[in-house]
Amino acid sequence: MTSKTIYHWIDERLGLSELAAFARHKTVPVHAQSFWYYWGGISLFLFLVQCFTGVLLLVYYRPGAEAYESVRQITFVMHFGWLIRSAHAWSANLMIFAILVHMFSVYFMKAYRKPREFGWLSGMALLGIASVFGFSGYLLPMDELSYFATKVGLQIPAVIPFVGPAVANMLRGGPDVSEFTVQRFFALHVVVLPAIFLPLLAFHLWLVQRHGNAVPPSVEALPPEQRKNMPSFPNFVRKDLAMWLISLNILALLASVFPWALGKQADSLVPAPAGIHPEWYFMSPFEMLKLLGMVKWLQGEPGEIAGILLFTLGIVLWILIPFYDINKESGQRARAAHYFGLLAVFALLATTVIGYWTIR
Amino acid sequence: MNYPFWNIPYLGSGWVIGIIAIFHMMIALFAVGGGLYLPLAERKAMRMTDPETRAAWLAQLVGYSKFFLILTGVFGTISGVGIWFAIGLTHPEATSTLIHNFVFGWAIEWVFFIVELSTAAVYYYTWNRIDPKLHLTVGWVYAGASFFTLAIINGILSFMLTPGDAWLAVAGTGHEAGKFWFALFNPTYWPSLFLRTCVCASLAGVWALISASRIDGDKQPALKTSLVKWSVKWLVPSFVAMPFLMIWYYRMVPASQRALLILGIDTINAGTFSIITRIALVIIVTSATIVGVAYYLAYRNPVEFNLSHALAVLLLALIATGSGEYAREMLRKPYVIGRWMYSNGVRVPYVDRINQEGYLAHSMWVWWNGRPTGFDMLTSPGDTDPLDRPYSYSRGEAIFRGECGSCHTLNGYRPLAQLLAGRDRANIGNFIVMLHENKPDSPYRRFMPPMVGTKQDIDDLTNYLNAQVNPPAPGSQKGVLTAQK
Repeated sequence: MTSKTIYHWIDERLGLSELAAFARHKTVPVHAQSFWYYWGGISLFLFLVQCFTGVLLLVYYRPGAEAYESVRQITFVMHFGWLIRSAHAWSANLMIFAILVHMFSVYFMKAYRKPREFGWLSGMALLGIASVFGFSGYLLPMDELSYFATKVGLQIPAVIPFVGPAVANMLRGGPDVSEFTVQRFFALHVVVLPAIFLPLLAFHLWLVQRHGNAVPPSVEALPPEQRKNMPSFPNFVRKDLAMWLISLNILALLASVFPWALGKQADSLVPAPAGIHPEWYFMSPFEMLKLLGMVKWLQGEPGEIAGILLFTLGIVLWILIPFYDINKESGQRARAAHYFGLLAVFALLATTVIGYWTIR
Repeated sequence: MNYPFWNIPYLGSGWVIGIIAIFHMMIALFAVGGGLYLPLAERKAMRMTDPETRAAWLAQLVGYSKFFLILTGVFGTISGVGIWFAIGLTHPEATSTLIHNFVFGWAIEWVFFIVELSTAAVYYYTWNRIDPKLHLTVGWVYAGASFFTLAIINGILSFMLTPGDAWLAVAGTGHEAGKFWFALFNPTYWPSLFLRTCVCASLAGVWALISASRIDGDKQPALKTSLVKWSVKWLVPSFVAMPFLMIWYYRMVPASQRALLILGIDTINAGTFSIITRIALVIIVTSATIVGVAYYLAYRNPVEFNLSHALAVLLLALIATGSGEYAREMLRKPYVIGRWMYSNGVRVPYVDRINQEGYLAHSMWVWWNGRPTGFDMLTSPGDTDPLDRPYSYSRGEAIFRGECGSCHTLNGYRPLAQLLAGRDRANIGNFIVMLHENKPDSPYRRFMPPMVGTKQDIDDLTNYLNAQVNPPAPGSQKGVLTAQK
């Protein structure tokens, strides 16, 4: 009785019943590829974990000259500090993995077609920001590996003609990676990027609610009476919650069994240790540029510029896919887009494997 | 020392046991829990008033009991033998102690085991062939027999953590078997038995969900709903009781072992043995959330519950069970049998003697010219004289295999080459001397056994490890690796 009264009191003021009625009308398609619908939710969950653990890390992290020492204290002195840091780092990596899976599932289901173009574009922007989150967060411990990996990473924008060196200097806060770079990356990581990411995420989620889940072309071709749906609320939400709990378990397992290590303090005067390489999600572009640089007539600076141009062209084509694969029917253009997707997956995997294979 | 060392590079012999044991536990605990699930499900079906529903339930149980028979009777038994085979090779000294102490226990277990296997087969093959009440009785006999196998083996496993003062008082006198019942019903016996029984019930539910997920929800929605919901309920007792049982278990564990649980609260530094804390966190998270996953995926969506969902629940059960077994093993450190035998097979009272006589003094099989008893029987007329054969490895390597090999590898699991990296020979030597002295204030004393042996043993082990950590440059003279007996 009391709970009903309380609900009624809140409902009168917030209109919860209307919200529930709205949610009950929403449905999610049920078919053989329904599994891929959960990856957006998993990405969101992992982002929430990062917000939570990030705030906790913020309590003890000190950017600038004391960055390494503060992370050392978090990892080796604070009670369960290592766990919070591990969970933060692992959830960041898992989130990028989940976003990539989500992106490819959307791509192959052709869920970018009308009227979901903005969903695709905002998703791509979120992936881009997530990678910058990863890149900026990677430097913050300021250990040997993060220092040199960032140094190598910032050489990529530096080769952009005309503006490259200025952009790299601006990001670094000087000619080399230093405590000023940490300050800048910290501001980027905890203020600038969240300020852009959060409204964009809200926009993305609103679009998902507005247009619902797209179905793959094979299901779209079926007559309406042969298609199956489940109520978004509570059925899909319950399954989504189960997926969140499974993700939590995988995260707990990884964070506990393989806690995120902290290397030696960065020292710009010592040579880079062997085996410096970017994080796995940057390994593919890094390796592609390396491979292009090995082509005889592309060696040196022209090769680097050509590599960046080629890579940028690929990304632009990928982002603009909703605008040239527009027909509902499975025509030649749709097939070409499909093969383009397969090529992208293959190139991503192959260059990542080659990258790790050839680490020295 | 009295047995050959079983060297498993990279993986380590401990993980050979671990992999087999975790696989086995997933099935063996199901064999006990499923033993309770089947007759209770059959009784529930027999009490159903609607003949159609009853027939559907019973038909499903026939299929489930076949799955149960194959999984437990084939994979469970083979992996069970595999464990004993593997521990016999990895920890022959500890296995020898267990056999000498618990031979009567194993005899009892094997009686129940034979009853268990027989009744499982009879239960499946007599569906619809004998009187239903008699069939149900067969199920109950199976449940009782399988539970008693758990009751016995639980005594042996918990003995290894807490042998108890009564047994320890006679350990090494030859009268250990006289304290059989004290050893069996040792301090952690009861909390461990209740914990395992709860896990058995949970695994019965989890495996039943695998079977129920195969039911076509479109054709038999009522059957699938009732079976899935009933199976999920089997996870609830352990969810409710586990926190209390864990606290009970924790309180019965000696303070020295309890201290291991908190080593990883504030650090993950190498060599601090933080793994138990980290694994305990995994157990807590997985045990606390598996019911939620089963509730959302199965209980609230029984008709749509499919094999992928069921496998996800099984995966979480595997993580929880595997972590639990791993933590139980680690909690014994630095012993393999609490306060009696160190994890490298050295008996606690023998330390002084070995320090005087040398670690390899009684390891006759290490050296070809040692001529252990019966050695001649192993040689054929065409073989060269064993006395002329070269040494198979150095003294240092022999000591490494014997004293370090049950927990460490060189370059794989807990790699010594990595853990000692950055140290020079003197530093490695100092570290080994510290382990040898095993002073009360040594941080390693809490989880590592002392390095036993003479000054020569320490030097040989130091030389061997130094050569692995700081290999000589190509072309330079080799390090001292050829010390002979």
